[in-house]
Amino acid sequence: MSVGPLRLPVALPRITRVERDRVVAGVCAGIADAVAVDPTLVRLVFALLSFASGAGIVAYLGAWALLPAPGSPAPRRGRRIGGTVLLVWSAILALRGLGLADSVVWPLALVGAGVVLATSSNTFGLRQRHLQAGALVLMVLGVVLFVQRNTGGSASTLLAPGAVAVALMLVLVPWAFRLVRERDAERAERVRSEERADLAARVHDSVLQTLTLIQKEPGDARRLARRQERELRAWLYPDRETAAAGTVAGAVDAAAAEIEELHGVRVDVVRTGDAPLDERSQALVLAAREAMGNAARHAGVDEVSVFLDAGGDGVSLYVRDRGSGFDVDAVAADRRGLAESIRGRMERVGGAARIVSTPGEGTEVELELKQ
Amino acid sequence: MSIPLRRVVLVDDHDLFRAGVRAGLGKTVEVVGEAGSVADAVPLIKQLDPDVVLLDVHLPDGGGQAVIIQVAQDRPAVKFLALSVSDAAEDVIGVIRAGARGYVTKAISGDELTDAVHRTADGDAVFSPRLAGFVLDAFRSGDPVADPELDQLTSREREVLQLIARGYKYKEIAARLHLSTRTVESHVSAVLRKLQLSSRHELTRWAAERRLI
Repeated sequence: MSVGPLRLPVALPRITRVERDRVVAGVCAGIADAVAVDPTLVRLVFALLSFASGAGIVAYLGAWALLPAPGSPAPRRGRRIGGTVLLVWSAILALRGLGLADSVVWPLALVGAGVVLATSSNTFGLRQRHLQAGALVLMVLGVVLFVQRNTGGSASTLLAPGAVAVALMLVLVPWAFRLVRERDAERAERVRSEERADLAARVHDSVLQTLTLIQKEPGDARRLARRQERELRAWLYPDRETAAAGTVAGAVDAAAAEIEELHGVRVDVVRTGDAPLDERSQALVLAAREAMGNAARHAGVDEVSVFLDAGGDGVSLYVRDRGSGFDVDAVAADRRGLAESIRGRMERVGGAARIVSTPGEGTEVELELKQ
Repeated sequence: MSIPLRRVVLVDDHDLFRAGVRAGLGKTVEVVGEAGSVADAVPLIKQLDPDVVLLDVHLPDGGGQAVIIQVAQDRPAVKFLALSVSDAAEDVIGVIRAGARGYVTKAISGDELTDAVHRTADGDAVFSPRLAGFVLDAFRSGDPVADPELDQLTSREREVLQLIARGYKYKEIAARLHLSTRTVESHVSAVLRKLQLSSRHELTRWAAERRLI
């Protein structure tokens, strides 16, 4: 996971040294320009700070190292690091000069350095992750040092923990916020790209393959197209089209698909309701499969209709074709499929099979299983 | 008896499919206009005032339902026959509830479609076996697409729907149940009415619950 640079919640003004109004290196005039105050005021602040063990002078040097000259690119890495060190040093000097105890100043300096490090994007040319790790270490060190040095805890130092906490929050809150946001965006993007890949794979593996096969074997186009249609529907309308495995509807669908594959006819399954697949309904599905196969083989049609009605009081299934039909009484004796695989099978599980066929008009096999 | 010429508007967003339907329809059906979107279809249908609109369930800007809802008030005489490759029961039942007189799959042959157009124009309901299955599901309590507010079907109506689902033609159903073809048709129309009887508000809620709109 990649993490972008940390940013302080406030925008810092962009400061450059200036040629105009400059006295030494144009640092004070530059700062005054950026924050829109009189340069004299800034120079006064630096002068006053110089009384605190020379903090003003050190700060000036640091700023001079850090701030780019007008019209020139940002200073090189060494100069940036040096400038930062000088600034931190001056801050320490200034704080001590103001009368704060060492036990407060050093922890504050560490935390401050951590904040600077965490909020600098590429000032030091280091990897983002390294920067953040370093910043965290510095800040934790600062807090530990503070706690260790102030176990006795005088009243005047009670302000410091608050300051440390505020500094930490300033850095950590926007950082955590960004982390969460980036992770969410990343996850959404991953889901989208997975969906795209899935669709591409689906289209490639099945649809393109089928189209290629059809071009090679035009005679097989009907069967191939039907198989493809079935697959695509199962994928597009998963809740509706693919009845769950282990149910009668699912088993009937599977049987119909097999018959379509075997005989190249279209088996149109219409269903209402569903029921769990048990030993009895399994027998009904097998009988139905036999009936579909018979219709596909003997009726001379290219479409067979199946209707499954599974409700509270049992399961009914109808296999119908509008083909040649036959005389049921004449063939029933010698056609094992009809007698054994359909009638016998249904009777053994306490169901019934009825076969109605009229030569020239078609056949309907009705299978019934009462609850 | 001469068969009257029916004026038909074809609404489908696939040019190729519209061309196929046009070529397959018999001489007794004249395609007077075509549209590929809801926005194009609504003014076209209002202007041409056809006998029947052959309507794709899925259109890019709102679906077949949107066309029916927008046309029905101004042109109550125009009849809609839904045509779809979709097997999603919600889509099909949704367009029927909006006012379509029937639903056939796009795999239907040209002759059957011609026949279906005539029956739709005559005010009959056109139920394919698949639609009959969906409707039986819709009236079955406990099913995900079922609506508890629907009036229940009479046992005769249920019987007729089951026979349609088994692939029987109206005439065959009539013979089997010892009824006239007209009576079978009136049973089917009664089922359609029960599906459509809900108020506009209820329909909207029904559709919203199923994320159709």
